[in-house]
Amino acid sequence: MTWLTEWACYLPQLMSGLGVSLLIAGISIFFGYPLGLVLSLMVTAKNLAVRTLGLAVVEIGRGAPALVILYLFYYGLPKFGIAFESITAACLALTWNSAAYSSEIMRAGLQSVARGQLEASNALGLSQRDTFFRVVMPQGMRSAIPGLMGVAIQMFQGTSLAYGIAVPELMKTAYNIGSQDFNYLQIFTLAGLCYAVISMPATWITVFFEKRMARHT
Amino acid sequence: MTLSEIADGKLAPRLGIKLDNISKRYGEHTVLDDVSLHVEPGTVTALIGPSGAGKSTFLRCINLLERPDSGTIQVDQHTIEPGKDVNSRDLAALRRTVGMVFQSFNLFPHMSALKNISFPQQKVLGRSKEEADERSRQLLERVGLKEKADQHPGKCSGGQQQRIAIARALALDPAIMLFDEPTSALDPEVGLEVLAVMRELAADGMTMIVVTHEMQFARDVSDTLVVMADCKIIEQGDPRAIMSDPQEARTRRFLRAVLER
Repeated sequence: MTWLTEWACYLPQLMSGLGVSLLIAGISIFFGYPLGLVLSLMVTAKNLAVRTLGLAVVEIGRGAPALVILYLFYYGLPKFGIAFESITAACLALTWNSAAYSSEIMRAGLQSVARGQLEASNALGLSQRDTFFRVVMPQGMRSAIPGLMGVAIQMFQGTSLAYGIAVPELMKTAYNIGSQDFNYLQIFTLAGLCYAVISMPATWITVFFEKRMARHT
Repeated sequence: MTLSEIADGKLAPRLGIKLDNISKRYGEHTVLDDVSLHVEPGTVTALIGPSGAGKSTFLRCINLLERPDSGTIQVDQHTIEPGKDVNSRDLAALRRTVGMVFQSFNLFPHMSALKNISFPQQKVLGRSKEEADERSRQLLERVGLKEKADQHPGKCSGGQQQRIAIARALALDPAIMLFDEPTSALDPEVGLEVLAVMRELAADGMTMIVVTHEMQFARDVSDTLVVMADCKIIEQGDPRAIMSDPQEARTRRFLRAVLER
């Protein structure tokens, strides 16, 4: 049997794993970004308690390897009577991870907005709320877009860690197939290709956005 | 009685600006040392002086972009003592009365020219989108930029951006306009378009305070010339009189530097 025919027969099974991977990545990004925005505001808040809490969540999320957080959620929390399905634990851990990373990117984006924009808003008498949501955020998020897309790619690849808690995602599916007839080389190459087929165009789009941003500033 | 009628001066007489004993320090460093200035309604005051004299800081104290440490600010109907707590309603009322134009324009880059002018009207004055857009188009026409309504600021020249910024400030019907070196970031020729709009505004009776290095404008347009140096006002009065016969040695030195170059 050649590699191509083997791949053709593995692919349908692998696709269901890819679906799970994309689902976990999608959920962790969908909840991670808004949470990241909240964290970025907490980290720059005047209130010390709010700032400390924000910093702790961000620094743990970025400082601890995603796999450690994943294990803590799946194996650790049941100690306190909190038990999750493996896929839920994976989503929670990766959401924390993506929120922590995206919060730093958003904070940098928001801080890059020129001071004059705030002064103009103040001089016009715009409320703080309108100033943030209509003036600062649209501009800050624009410059954060390439970084945030990078986080999304990182999250997608990070879903392979969920293999460690037996989530039936792409990596786990590939491993299961491989352990049936020991074609590990073929199946992991195919799995790698699946990750690449998603990640590489996403990277190209990110680079395209980066270039477009650079042209406008 | 609507707010815009008050702002248009139809109901209440204009009161101008009274700034008394304004002081501002950054740590040990004094920026404004007990400065007082009274501006009659409908007049133009030009604020000149060497860099670091405190001109811009003083101007920015008027709408509390800088918070003075002490003193009293009376703008039109509003009195504020910035040394004490200023509640947000007084602050909003003050800022609604005062329009400001910046050296770096500070237009919102993600909005079209029209949106730049309409958005604050909708949010601050509660005008409907139609009302606001109509007023914005009038103002764009007045500053000679009717055809730029749908352009974003990035597609406009510096002079055009500054004129849009002036329209944006005027759209809120301010009683007083502050200009912080409005032409300093512009090529001399482009600056002329902005000065032309400002001359027109002055001729229409707008109360204006202008921090500027444009001596010609200061001499021809302003009613009062105020010279600041070393955190203080050192001389003020009729612009022609001061320019031809300054009383203070420091004023003489400064004028020689800007007029005889």
